[in-house]
Parts: sequence; structure tokens; C-alpha cells
Amino acid sequence: MQTLTIDDVTVRFGKVRALESFALELHAGQVVMLAGPNGAGKSTLIRVLLGLVSPDRGALRVDGRLVRVDRAFRNRLAYLPESVAFAESLTGREVVAFFASARGVARARVDEVLERVGLADARRRAVRGYSRGMRQRLGLAVALVAPSDLLILDEPTGGLDQDALSLLWSVLDEWRAAGRIVLLASHEIALLEHRVDRLALLSEGRRVAEGTPADLRRTAGLPLRVQLELDPAAPTRDALKAALGEMGAPRFDHDATHVELELEPHALVRLFELGAERRAAIRDLRVVAPPFDEVYRRLLSEAA
Amino acid sequence: MRIPFPVGRALALHELRERTRDRWVLVISALFALLASAVGLYGRSAEGNVTAITGPSLVTLASLFVPLVALALGYDAIVGERERNTLGLLLSLPASRVEVVLAKFVGRGVALAAAVGVGLGGAMLAAAQGEARTLAALIGPTIALGLTFVSVGMLVSSLTSRQSTAASFVIALWFLLVFFYDLGLLALLVATDGAVGDGTIASLVVGNPTGLYRVTLLSALSGPSALPDLGLDVSLPSSTGRAALWLAWILGPLVLSGLVLSARRALR
Repeated sequence: MQTLTIDDVTVRFGKVRALESFALELHAGQVVMLAGPNGAGKSTLIRVLLGLVSPDRGALRVDGRLVRVDRAFRNRLAYLPESVAFAESLTGREVVAFFASARGVARARVDEVLERVGLADARRRAVRGYSRGMRQRLGLAVALVAPSDLLILDEPTGGLDQDALSLLWSVLDEWRAAGRIVLLASHEIALLEHRVDRLALLSEGRRVAEGTPADLRRTAGLPLRVQLELDPAAPTRDALKAALGEMGAPRFDHDATHVELELEPHALVRLFELGAERRAAIRDLRVVAPPFDEVYRRLLSEAA
Repeated sequence: MRIPFPVGRALALHELRERTRDRWVLVISALFALLASAVGLYGRSAEGNVTAITGPSLVTLASLFVPLVALALGYDAIVGERERNTLGLLLSLPASRVEVVLAKFVGRGVALAAAVGVGLGGAMLAAAQGEARTLAALIGPTIALGLTFVSVGMLVSSLTSRQSTAASFVIALWFLLVFFYDLGLLALLVATDGAVGDGTIASLVVGNPTGLYRVTLLSALSGPSALPDLGLDVSLPSSTGRAALWLAWILGPLVLSGLVLSARRALR
């Protein structure tokens, strides 16, 4: 599977628009994130891809060919649901073995994948004795046990400790390197910014923004935060303060040594020129990008 | 060689394994086995014959316990998966929704058959020599009764959205079909002063799977006079008719369950 195209998909539940003319193209070797507030349509889109919801309109295409979500399509996908809870009385190995057997995968793969997710020692324990993080790892093992072209993860970071997060990052990297497609839905936009290749932002069933994280930062156009430490003894300090005042609305601390101001990205050039001219007056200069959740909120508010 | 229905086969085995560890199912099954063995022992010590004591007592016992075990096996089949958030995962496997329903039924049905086998097997072991063969005739209809209620439980499971609601429904159904149905028929007879025809009563009796089970086996064990002795002057359907009724009871709710699940436009 090189490309999966979600084409103009609309899903309505009565008067509720769960998805409205939603379109997205997923490419092999990319990790794509669906982000948006609750009720934005992320889960509905995932359910459309799994065949759990029939859209009112729209189509799915694999490498340009129209496809139905049938056995053949589902045989090519792996899925990790949000907060999955497997049968408490079964062991971790039995749970994974069932999914392996259902997908016609050899038993040897079960232990391999349990080892991969760090559950080798717990494989003979009943699921009722698993922590939340272990259950999430077990879900990941279920998703990874059979070879697939498309991995769908719904809120995969919930309940994961740092080790489990590292595991998830390595899984994403492996899938990307293997030229497969990963689609994940999450609220943890700041956590995942550097782990995904593209993001699609949804609001009220519509795609309001789409692109790489850097694209979305540009689209949001949020100002950068500039922090300067000035040399109180430098003769050019007053001139620098005046120049900064012309560029924006600098905030000085009580002795006017530390300055913070917000600048549009294009104003950085002028700041650096100023820094070069008044170099003696500047001890330190930092440019901080706004957190990605601010980018997210800005894009959502603009869409609203 | 490609194995046909890999998901169905794997799911049926998975269901069977899970059910054999279900505490409720184990407790009710063990209680049934214990009581059935006690009935067998009692029949032996009373030196009665199987037609007079052991058989009818086991029929009464099974008609109470087997539907309960079966409903406990069936009620969470679909709604339980939904509550655990695993229904989507299950239906994302390469299988149709009907295949999923059938596989669940097969796995749970085998668990039910095992529970019946253990219960009646215990009674047969405890019963006097020579009675075992007669008691073995109970196994088939008792499994049919159980499969009917597994199927009914699964229909309830696919129609409800919460496990607690499904549990309430099946308990109400159990009381209705096992206890109150016969009382309702009596009330009907009293209220109409016996004006309701024998044919209607016969249809109403065998229309309830528990009634069909009771009258068929009591008649078989105790002879043709058993039903008139109980005040039921009804003629039973032929063996083919009875088999058709059992099939309808087992397959009807099951097919409906598959249709309900398949017709759902949105599942979570």
C-alpha cells in the first residue's frame, strides 16, 4: 500500500455532523496524526477505516483504486483501540495468540512480539494482574502480531510510562522505515509533534488544517518569544532598548537587564541585524518557538 | 493449505477458553453437577426406577439450571466486547459480523454442552446401574435447551448497549420463561374457565423452549400418561416437529443477532 486516500467522506448521525467532506491522503513511510477536540470526528474517521461506520458519502482508495472495507482490506490493517480491556481471565500470551491465530500468523511470532513490547516475563500471567501501562503494551502487541500495511492507533499514549513511550516511538520509527502507513489519533499534540510527519486537525467533523508540524506552525503564524539579557554597563544599551521598543512591546524586569518580547517570524532578521549592531549590549539571546498546543489552539480558534 | 474461516475458528476456541474460566458459569455449572449427582444418588438409594424418580427430577433440575447457565454464557457476548472496547478490534479482523456471531455461539455452545455433560454425567455415574442409558437420553434435549438460551442471550447482548442492562433482561427472561410462563398458562385456563382449546394450550406449552423440554422428556421418561396426570391433555409434535422447533429456537435468535449486528450502521 503506497497511498491510502480518504476522499470526501461524510458521516452524519441524525442532525450531528460527525465528518463533513473529509479528505486526507496517507502515504507509505509516514506517520500521520489526527488531532482535534472531543467530538471533532477523529474516532468516527477511524471507525470508517475499520468498517464499523458506513459513511453517507465518500470513498476510500488504495493506490488510486476504489476499495471497500472488506476482509481483504481489513487483513491489511492493524488496530490499537483506546483504553482497550482484554478478557481478565486470559494470560497475555493467550490474548496475543488468539489474534495471531485469527490472522493466520505462526505461534512463534507471539512470543517474539511479547518480547518486543516488554511483556515476555508477564506473558503467562492473567490480564487481571496487568497494570494500565502493561495492558496498553499488550494492545500494542496485538496490533503488531500480524504483518500489516496500515497501523491505526487510537490515543496510543494513554497510561504509558517513559519506557513504554520509548517503545511506542521506536515502533513508529520502524513502521516509517519499513514504508508502512501509521495513522494515530491523539490529544497529546505537544508530545507527538516531533514524532509525526503530518498532522490533520479536525473540528466539528471538518479538516481545518493539514500539513507537517512546521507547516502548521507557519499557518498559525504565532509570534516567537525572544528573551534577551542586556549588559547594564554597555554604552549602547539605551539605544538598544529604544530599538527593541520600536520592534514590539518589550517587557523589562525591574533593573531592565532581562527583556522579553514577542516577534513575528519575519521580524527575526531585523532582530539579528540589531544584535549585530549592538552586540556589546547583548549578553544572551534566546528565541523560543511557542508550544505546539498554542499552535493547535490558534488554528482551532481561527477555524471557529 | 489455507484454513477456511481462520477468524471464526480462532474466535470459537478463544470464546471456549474464556468461558471455561468464567466464575459465574463455573459456579452455576458446579452447582448443577452437584445437585444432579445428588438426584442420581437419591434415586439409587430410594431404589426407585429412573422413570419414577431420577429422570423427572433431573428434567426439573435441568430446566431451572441449564437456561441460567446458558443465559450467563450468552448475555455478554456482544455487549461485553463493546464495554471492554474490544468489539471494534474484533470486527477489524478479516471476518464478517455474522461469522463473529456464529463463532461466539459455537465457542459458548461447546462450553454449555460441556457443563451439561459434566452435570448429567455426574448424575449418570451416581445413578443405579442400568439407569445410565435412560438418563443419557436427556443429554441431547438438555443441550438443545441450553443452546436455545445461549442464542437468546446473544440476541439480548446484540440489542443492548450496556452489560448491566443485558444482565437484567436475561434474568427477567429466565423468570418469565422458566417460572411465570406456566403460571400464565394456568391463569389463562382459570380466567377462561377452560374454554381455551387443547390445541392452543399444546401450542403455547411447546412454544416455550422450557415447556417443550419438560413435556417431551416427561412424556418420554414416564410414558404417555405422564402429561394427563399433570393435567396436560395435549398431544406432542412428532420427533421431526420437535427437532424443527428446537432448530427454530436455536437458530432464530442467533440469525436475528447476526442481522442486528450486521445492520448496525455505526458500532463502537
